[in-house]
Amino acid sequence: MEFYTNALSHVLTFGPLTAMIGATLLGVFIGALPGLNPVMAIALLLPLTYSMDPLVALAMVAGIYNGSMYGGAIPAILLRIPGTPASIATTFDGFPMADRGEAAKALKIACWSSAIGGIASAIALMTMGPMLARVTLFFGPAEYFWIAIFGMASVAVMVGSDPVKGMMAAVLGLLIGTMGIDNLSGQARFTFGQTWLLGGLDLIVVLVGLYALPPVLQLAEKCDLKGLSAAQLKLADAPFEEGEIRGLIPTWLRASGIGIGVGILPGAGGNIAAFLSYNAAKNASDDPSSFGKGNPQGVAAAECGNNADNAASMIPALALGIPGNVVAALVLSALTIHGLQPGPQLFHQNPTLVGGFMMEMLITSVLIFALGGAVATRVFAQFQRLPGVLLVPTILILMCVGVYVINGRPVDLWVMLIAGFAGYFLEKVNFPLAPVILGMILGPMAEQSVRRALLISRGDPTDLVTRPISAVLAVVTVLVIIWPLVKMMRRRRRAN
Amino acid sequence: MTLKATFIGLTAATALAAPVLAEYPERTIELTIPAGAGGGTDTSARKLAILLEEKLGTSIAILNVGGGGGSVGASQFMQAKPDGYSLFATWNSPLTTVPQVQDVAYSLASFTPIASTSETAYTLCVKTDFPATTGAEFLDELAANPGKYTYGNDGIGGTMQLAAERIFQAKEINAIAIPFGGAGETLQNFLGGHVDIYGGSISTVLPYVESGEAKCPIVTSAADVPALEGASGLEALGLADKETLLWRAILGPKDMDPAVVEKLANVIEEAVNDPSYVEFLATKGEVPNVVKGEALGARLQSEYDALAEVSKALGL
Repeated sequence: MEFYTNALSHVLTFGPLTAMIGATLLGVFIGALPGLNPVMAIALLLPLTYSMDPLVALAMVAGIYNGSMYGGAIPAILLRIPGTPASIATTFDGFPMADRGEAAKALKIACWSSAIGGIASAIALMTMGPMLARVTLFFGPAEYFWIAIFGMASVAVMVGSDPVKGMMAAVLGLLIGTMGIDNLSGQARFTFGQTWLLGGLDLIVVLVGLYALPPVLQLAEKCDLKGLSAAQLKLADAPFEEGEIRGLIPTWLRASGIGIGVGILPGAGGNIAAFLSYNAAKNASDDPSSFGKGNPQGVAAAECGNNADNAASMIPALALGIPGNVVAALVLSALTIHGLQPGPQLFHQNPTLVGGFMMEMLITSVLIFALGGAVATRVFAQFQRLPGVLLVPTILILMCVGVYVINGRPVDLWVMLIAGFAGYFLEKVNFPLAPVILGMILGPMAEQSVRRALLISRGDPTDLVTRPISAVLAVVTVLVIIWPLVKMMRRRRRAN
Repeated sequence: MTLKATFIGLTAATALAAPVLAEYPERTIELTIPAGAGGGTDTSARKLAILLEEKLGTSIAILNVGGGGGSVGASQFMQAKPDGYSLFATWNSPLTTVPQVQDVAYSLASFTPIASTSETAYTLCVKTDFPATTGAEFLDELAANPGKYTYGNDGIGGTMQLAAERIFQAKEINAIAIPFGGAGETLQNFLGGHVDIYGGSISTVLPYVESGEAKCPIVTSAADVPALEGASGLEALGLADKETLLWRAILGPKDMDPAVVEKLANVIEEAVNDPSYVEFLATKGEVPNVVKGEALGARLQSEYDALAEVSKALGL
């Protein structure tokens, strides 16, 4: 306890506090603009912080990271354009809510859920960090394979009415995911002799094209010259009705647990956490068919899940020195620059700094309550008042800038454009888009893990199911696939 | 029209003939990094760029061009103008390792070597209960049990794997390479017991050597590494010529003005030896190492040849 009270007294000073507020706001903006992502922002800022007070530098990292995870929800709800890959699941129910005039409520739920997920995650980091870190070591390639398959099982809930089209979309994603240099053989696959394809297609480039262009084209189709008036926006504060919060609590608890669980595993990220939380909320619901049609539970699950991943992803980084994602790697490099050595000794080496960073992850999550709602309604939602003829080019320019700065190569703009037209076409013929992205994320993870596992077992496939954890994960995966079927059959029997 | 064209041509010619060095640099320098933002190469280049900006009195714009293990950035950069305003901050792998496994559009001749900046060795580590402790014992144990041990590395055909295989080939060792996405992932699988041997950077595994969970019998540099007590350098094992390091350098496109190269090399040397940079390098387990101009070209060539030999033997 003294550990944290001491750290808190250092965090609650002018420098770190200002940095946290400023960075959280900045993070919300970065998350809300498609293409811009927290990794880039933190990487750009970090060298400038080398000479700063480390607690100020880390406050900025915490603010940008937490703020951007929530920020992604704003365009996801208002325009059906996910600001970050982690907010795809937010579009499923967030946009239908906005469509029927409940944008303010959807934004409020996203804001509360993000803050709660972030707080739960920060508390997990502060209380169980080193212990949870040791647990992650039991996860080898065989276990990662099952986690990827488990994630893919959630495709089932995203396919909507036509499972065949959903499967086809997922396979398309898997195929795209195989492009580039194969990490295990060094061979280039599907690169057609193009050097720029050696690294594969960038997830964010494809995401921006696939997800942002179709809604933009639809806006253009409407040929709207006037935009909405302030009165039409309906952004008056939407207070929670009685019992509404109580109804969301189980979803928040479940999504926080899932987000933390996914977060502590290096390599799995907020996007997987959001999909799994959404899936779990739908499976647990009495009325799964209402998901995808504007169920507030869906927004709550997705947003809580992706923020709950954040602080938890710092656990293996801080406690073991194993960064699970690029943001964690940047935090590690910030710590080493200030003379700290991540790993088992870190918590004793400089408790003020480590404890302070954890407090900052917590405080910036709380700040989302205060800042998130206002930024969303006062700033971003006002964009909708722009007439389509202005809004469409504005979004297009932002998309291009965001995509170009990722790798600094013009060819990515073409990839975005092609992905965009593909997305537009797929939507017209009622193909769901989420399975494409999910395939791109999980395909390489599943493939590489299973091949590594087989290399280690010298080609013996029984290792995939006989290691204790892999066996449990395999059984759970099968159950997740079967559970909706069992529920459906039971309902049908009852109806008869 | 013709007159105008001639006039433009003349002005351009005068501009080219004018002594470049006197004013150099007079505008922003663009520094291409062939890796995404946030990695080891990126952070050390950005830190160095801040110091270079001060010393050169101009601003430096950084462009991250990731992908293909660095080959995408290198291919794009080789087309830049050799006017001193386009520089390339890379680690050795895109130049000497990647061309062994990929068809790349560039060769060493596509660049003007300016100066190397820092270097670090790789290490091979095992759990404390491993039946060998010294470098010689370790290699004997591996040689006596072909195919028994797995070692994690930074990727197939990567510099780390080639560094290990050069040693293994000399000692006729057969260990199974398990490629991971980077040293962090290798460490996770090593600590969890999923692979027997950790292969990767020193700074990543160092905390576990200090806590007594791991021991490192060998480093891939000829000399011992002070931070890793008990690890043999390759010279002590009679394998000095098998040294393979991770090192970083700044290059330009081919055909740069030698005077500009010399000026840059000297400024880079100053910046690298700045106490703040040396301290920064130490946190990453790296030491300053400045090799300039043609000597750097020779270093690249000899490393390229040695790695070509080992990757050919591996059938990559």
